[in-house]
Amino acid sequence: MYGGFVMSKDKDPAELFREWVNQWERAVDSFSNQLMGTDEFSRAMNTMQNSQLQFQKVFGELMAQHLANLNMPSRRDVQHLAEVIHDLDTRLSRMEVKLDRLSAASGGASATRPGPKRTRKPPSATSPANKKKD
Amino acid sequence: MTAKDPSGAAISERINAMVERSIQRSVKGLDFIRASSPVVGQTPKVLLHEQGTLKLYHYLPTEDEIYRVPIVIVMATTNRGYLFDLAPGQSMVQYLMTNGFDVYMIDWDAPGLHERGLDLGTYTQDFIPTCIEHVMQESGEDEVSIMGYCMGGVLSLIYAATHADGPLKNLVCLTTPVDWHEMGLFRQWCDERFFDVDRLVDTVGIIPEEFIAAGFDMLRPAQKLAGRTRVWEQMWNDEYVKSYRAFDRWGNDILPLAGEYYRETTRELMWRNKLLRGNLEVRGRSADLANITVPVMHAIAEHDHIVPYAASKPLLEKVSSEDREELVLKGGHVSLIAGPNAVRRMWPAVNTWLSERSI
Repeated sequence: MYGGFVMSKDKDPAELFREWVNQWERAVDSFSNQLMGTDEFSRAMNTMQNSQLQFQKVFGELMAQHLANLNMPSRRDVQHLAEVIHDLDTRLSRMEVKLDRLSAASGGASATRPGPKRTRKPPSATSPANKKKD
Repeated sequence: MTAKDPSGAAISERINAMVERSIQRSVKGLDFIRASSPVVGQTPKVLLHEQGTLKLYHYLPTEDEIYRVPIVIVMATTNRGYLFDLAPGQSMVQYLMTNGFDVYMIDWDAPGLHERGLDLGTYTQDFIPTCIEHVMQESGEDEVSIMGYCMGGVLSLIYAATHADGPLKNLVCLTTPVDWHEMGLFRQWCDERFFDVDRLVDTVGIIPEEFIAAGFDMLRPAQKLAGRTRVWEQMWNDEYVKSYRAFDRWGNDILPLAGEYYRETTRELMWRNKLLRGNLEVRGRSADLANITVPVMHAIAEHDHIVPYAASKPLLEKVSSEDREELVLKGGHVSLIAGPNAVRRMWPAVNTWLSERSI
């Protein structure tokens, strides 16, 4: 026996090692899942998270106040600008779709790119309409 | 010589192999540490449409003749789409293309803070329909097939249910949760009695990737260490190491989530289980799965620790489609898409199923 491994005549030591890793992983995961699957764990985890969020909120408000005192744009101001740009981006995107539609409807050049033929048939001649699998 | 009675030569051979692998481990281990991030997503593609967090790609067809109906892959919102295109030979996208499909992908980038207000409505009533418009425009076809993975499958289902008269021809869902009360530890941790989703969303706006990643890691706390131990033991095996590095890169490439989308998913799906109960409404439209009548295929992983079998199982019972098929495979949430069993069984099954319905 070497460090917990039984030297077998039948098995490769590397294979034994792999099996041991698999067993260890299963054992740790199973134990952790049992522990973390309890109400107590969920309560503790969420309590800790709420404390962190509370700290983050207070710190954010203080920082915003400091930036305002320094006459600097706050995160909220930058965020507002980003929202304006995002809104423009969305509108442009909608206009693009509408223009493409109009172009396609009027037979414009950009209607469809040339590409491979779309006539391929499946190897089996079975009609899917007749197939019902449940 | 038998296995039970090894001769001196066999023992010597075994020792030689062990020594050889040990040397290989040391030599290749150094390369492993020094190597840069593996290249992923190599199949040529063009960006067809972009809108904030949303990216729509078109993979450039390689075949002279393709099926009429294009496929749109809808990626899960927490991860990158290159899971479908990890490496040559380990790429479902490449497989579908060489089998004659025209493949598009709705992929995601990290949403910016200004996108914290994106919700289920944005994803299913704006993003997906807009992408489908682009796909129809690009392909010149008036029908598409959708293949949604995990949460991408949920978005696809909601889209399909709210656009029953739309251009959807076929729907393939890959390990898609429907019964959210069966979501195991996720459900336990997000229990309404303890989890204040409003406080979280109102404070951070965007749910950080670290938060999402921690959730995944906590489901299998030993997985990373065991994976690293295995790769050390297999360091002599170039194919194993290559595959491990690609999966590892993908697994660590987690995306943050828009706050409102997270809030709505938690409230409407996780707490109230509305997708299963059929009373989910998105922008005033009923997202009852019974509205879905197009052919549906659902591939489920038997040992999925993220979306347990019980959570994804009810999908086919809930849709009204007459043409429906379930494929249950051994393997996990990720190996279902790019693992050895995916290559052997899932890809060919999807190929056969879709090819018959894409003409």
